[in-house]
Amino acid sequence: MQDVIQLTINGLLQGGIYSLISIGLTLIFGVTRIVNFAHGEFLMLAMYATFFLFQLVGIDPYLSLLIVTPLLFILGLCSERLVIHPILNAPPFMQIFATVGLSVALQNAALFFWTADYRSVKTAYAGMMIPAGDLLISFARLMAFVAAVLISYGVFLYLKKTYAGRAIRAVAQNRTAATLMGINIRRVYFFTFGLGSALVGIAGALLMPIYYVFPTVGGLFVLTAFVVVVLGGLGNMTGAFIGGLIIGLVESYSGFYVATQLKEAVYFVIFILVLLLKPSGLYGIVGAEEMGEK
Amino acid sequence: MIRPLIRAFHEPKGYFFLACLLALVFLPLIVENPFVLHLVIMMLFYAALGGAWNIIGGFGGQLSLGHAAFFGLGAYTCVLLHLYTGLNPWAGMVVGMVITSIFGAAISYPCFRLRGPFFTLATIAFAEVLRILATYFKNFTKGSTGITIPQNMGLANFMFREKAPYLYIILIFALLVFVVSYLIEKSRFGYYLQALREDEDAAESLGINNTWVKLKAAVISAALTSIGGVFYAQYILFIEPYSEFSLDMSIQFALIPMIGGMGTAIGPIIGSFVLTPLQELLRSWLGGGFAGLYLVIYGIILVLVVIFMPQGILGLFKRSESEKETLPSAGGPNIRP
Repeated sequence: MQDVIQLTINGLLQGGIYSLISIGLTLIFGVTRIVNFAHGEFLMLAMYATFFLFQLVGIDPYLSLLIVTPLLFILGLCSERLVIHPILNAPPFMQIFATVGLSVALQNAALFFWTADYRSVKTAYAGMMIPAGDLLISFARLMAFVAAVLISYGVFLYLKKTYAGRAIRAVAQNRTAATLMGINIRRVYFFTFGLGSALVGIAGALLMPIYYVFPTVGGLFVLTAFVVVVLGGLGNMTGAFIGGLIIGLVESYSGFYVATQLKEAVYFVIFILVLLLKPSGLYGIVGAEEMGEK
Repeated sequence: MIRPLIRAFHEPKGYFFLACLLALVFLPLIVENPFVLHLVIMMLFYAALGGAWNIIGGFGGQLSLGHAAFFGLGAYTCVLLHLYTGLNPWAGMVVGMVITSIFGAAISYPCFRLRGPFFTLATIAFAEVLRILATYFKNFTKGSTGITIPQNMGLANFMFREKAPYLYIILIFALLVFVVSYLIEKSRFGYYLQALREDEDAAESLGINNTWVKLKAAVISAALTSIGGVFYAQYILFIEPYSEFSLDMSIQFALIPMIGGMGTAIGPIIGSFVLTPLQELLRSWLGGGFAGLYLVIYGIILVLVVIFMPQGILGLFKRSESEKETLPSAGGPNIRP
């Protein structure tokens, strides 16, 4: 019983990290329907920014959120203008290659400037465990989990209540109808890309006390994030949050009961099954997954 | 069926192609530099694999990023059979082709329902699952340590000390892929594929059995890709899950026809003959002192290609052609039953 509870807690906390990374991606993928392979590299850059702010200036990772988030927002806007904007009318497959190109360039630029070394920040709370009865809860992971809850709820409210949020949701649901209603699609894309990148910036800062940063760290997370996004339903914040938790739990249980090396295989199989049986995901609108196409 | 091939020699391009082929046949007799021969082998290798991808990806518009699954499956089947039963690699290649074809049909059939990025993501997931399984079953596949193929040179064992025999084998294979693609391009089956690429619903309403046509193309593509996997394994004499089933490999297969011109038989050849030397040269110029720099340039080139020439190299020629014509030259009027 003890095992099951600890596994559940570990799974939920790991899931919180996946949710955190996927929230930005579900926004970008849901709205633009572009498979952004560079999302992982944005995470990597955010982690490096956090690392250097800590190492050179001595700013605590949690405090550096205030700097890293706007930085990533600007990076997102720039990449949209330079890479995504010119290819919006290209065939979907070409778009994938543009983001793959961006991902390869960013990854290797990091390798060029900062070498392949694994770096981590040494804070007082990095390895801190909170004992709760017989259970152990990692402080940094708990912080990431809380942040995932707050951010997904915040973005959910933003999309639900504000005018700009409604416009973003409209574009995600039906591009053509949104255009007919007078929404400036290009501006929505521009802003969404910045917002999605800012969200992964938050994820990067919160992950820095937990993980090492190295040039290919984004690759570890990006495929998982796509699994979460499709599982939760495109552009759906609640979906991304719940989807992340499910994948975290699946990973935790299958890592323990099946085999550690097979846990990825298990969630890729789930991913395939979701795509085949319910491609709109848990919370997506049925049919919305095809509407984004021209 | 062979008629389109003969007809190709009514035009100068057929003879140009033949001349290039002859030049490649005589190349190993003149050039002995192993780097040059290796470069030519890799150019032909990627031309063949890009061509195999192009059959379902280019003609059929089913944009897979999971072809490494077929590649690795062919290689692993052949090498494992050789290791455990002593089966000859040539026979192993045939077994690998059969297994990969069945696997290709089994995974493609459900995936064809998916469209756009969802199909692509599903194909990535299948290749990842195979990679993880190949890593996991250590006792059988040696896991991530990989398998070094025991050296036993000779034609019968598909293993050579020199580069020249590999060059001839890959030349024959690349030619096979080209001929298959060319025949598809000129056949009724090819027109079906292109029709459903342009509009699946319209194609269906014209009486094309979409699923069957796509399935056939997927199986041909998977079988040819598995041959490529066997060649690669026998060429470097070492296999391991991360290189065989890698997403990078799948991306490379799709990139080649994309650069050359998707949905044409000649496109992958042009793509590979431009891209492969470029990659090798960038690597040898910048690879030494500056880790990663050549890939930064490569990534930027990729983005620029997508932005400025989304139709590939052939697209540059087509554009100037279609400016002359009033009608777009998309197949249609030349179909003869």
